[in-house]
Amino acid sequence: MPMPKIADAAQPRLAKGVRLQNDSATGKSVLLFPEGIVELNDTAHEILARCDGRTLIEIVQTLAEEYDADLAALAADVRETLADLQQRKLIELT
Amino acid sequence: MTAPRPYALLAEITYRCPLHCPYCSNPMQGRNNDELNTDEWKRVIHEAAALGVLQIGFSGGEPLARRDLPDLVRAAREADLYTNLITSGIGLDDERVHPLRDAGLDSIQLSFQSDQSGLSDEIAGARAHQHKLDAAAKIRAAGIPLSLNFVIHRRNIDRLPQMIDLAETLGAERVELANVQFYGWAFLNRAVLLPTREQVTRAREVATAAKARLAGKIDIFYVLPDYYETRPKPCLNGWGQRYLTINPIGDVLPCPTASSAIPDLRFENVRARALDWIWRESESFNRFRGTEWMPEPCRSCPQREIDFGGCRCQAALLTGNAANTDPVCELSPNRAIVDAVLGDLNSSSKHAREWTYRVNPKGVPVSSLARSPVAAGADRGPGA
Repeated sequence: MPMPKIADAAQPRLAKGVRLQNDSATGKSVLLFPEGIVELNDTAHEILARCDGRTLIEIVQTLAEEYDADLAALAADVRETLADLQQRKLIELT
Repeated sequence: MTAPRPYALLAEITYRCPLHCPYCSNPMQGRNNDELNTDEWKRVIHEAAALGVLQIGFSGGEPLARRDLPDLVRAAREADLYTNLITSGIGLDDERVHPLRDAGLDSIQLSFQSDQSGLSDEIAGARAHQHKLDAAAKIRAAGIPLSLNFVIHRRNIDRLPQMIDLAETLGAERVELANVQFYGWAFLNRAVLLPTREQVTRAREVATAAKARLAGKIDIFYVLPDYYETRPKPCLNGWGQRYLTINPIGDVLPCPTASSAIPDLRFENVRARALDWIWRESESFNRFRGTEWMPEPCRSCPQREIDFGGCRCQAALLTGNAANTDPVCELSPNRAIVDAVLGDLNSSSKHAREWTYRVNPKGVPVSSLARSPVAAGADRGPGA
């Protein structure tokens, strides 16, 4: 099923019941939810750490500045990561 | 071999339960006369966190039967654990739900037997369904994330679409549709609980369609009916790899059903040993760890690190030897045992209907059960 494209103005947030936490055993970020744990890669961590009410385009712009990355490529990465998390009900869009 | 770090602890804090579900995976001869006390559980929770555990599930029995549940939740949150309550919802009134929320409870998994009160109460052996609906409303009102758990079997599997509708109506974030797995009371009642092949095929279609339709809205987790599969489930993601269970009296188990399914395994107790030692060094956790213990066809199988040879408890229950390949596997020399069970059911239109309701472990006075508005109906026959 094709995933709907996330709008620039969408505000991604962690879904209800999902916690972002540092795993002290590995130093990595994890998402915790009922009977589930997802270990995040660095990209996903950097994105989720900014899902605090900012819009998608604001998150992309911040990351592009901080990492001196290409805006279009970064936007595609962020959209893909968030769409995947949204399908799994780990984030919500408002 | 070196022990990995565990991720999740299932804390079975009591075997007491006001329901009598015939599919309960609790041991039929469980001991419950010397439950760990509050301080013992708090110590164990901190030991688990130190070992690397990130999640704790409070289960049972019915965990609400223990009045100290909010204290245990608070201890788990202080140890940075994700806290999940797995409950029948019986007795979950405002007086109970608010202290749990205030203690930081992350999520509640509320069990349902079906979507209709008649069938649900018959399965539970108690008038429970309406209380569950009320509990769901209270959980939502308290702002605690809600999952609905359904155990699926022959008597309710045809109502899968309605069960999913109920989850939508109640505003659940997640739904677990778990085909019954045959351990404990469920193993005893297998002839009544096992669905037909036709039912299983239809249920799979319903679940797949609902999962696609509700993606991003409700997360649907479908547990396969493993007797109908050709390869075994990756039970526990491998023995002693990610999970540990502690039962009401403090025995530490690689899985909740191991104590009843594998009688020759001796389990260590948190009253006598540190959890760290039990996880790393004990015979019970090392017996089936890794791949060294595997017989053929597992030993040389390319799937051995994917399904880990399936379930040790199932191998023990069906073949009498926990070290055998799970007989669900089509490559197992014992697959005929599973096929015979399926054949008996699917070749006949006359199906067993009399199940045995779960009863509480002996030595538990009835007065110590959770104060619940439910009239226990253990002696009530099915088909009422």
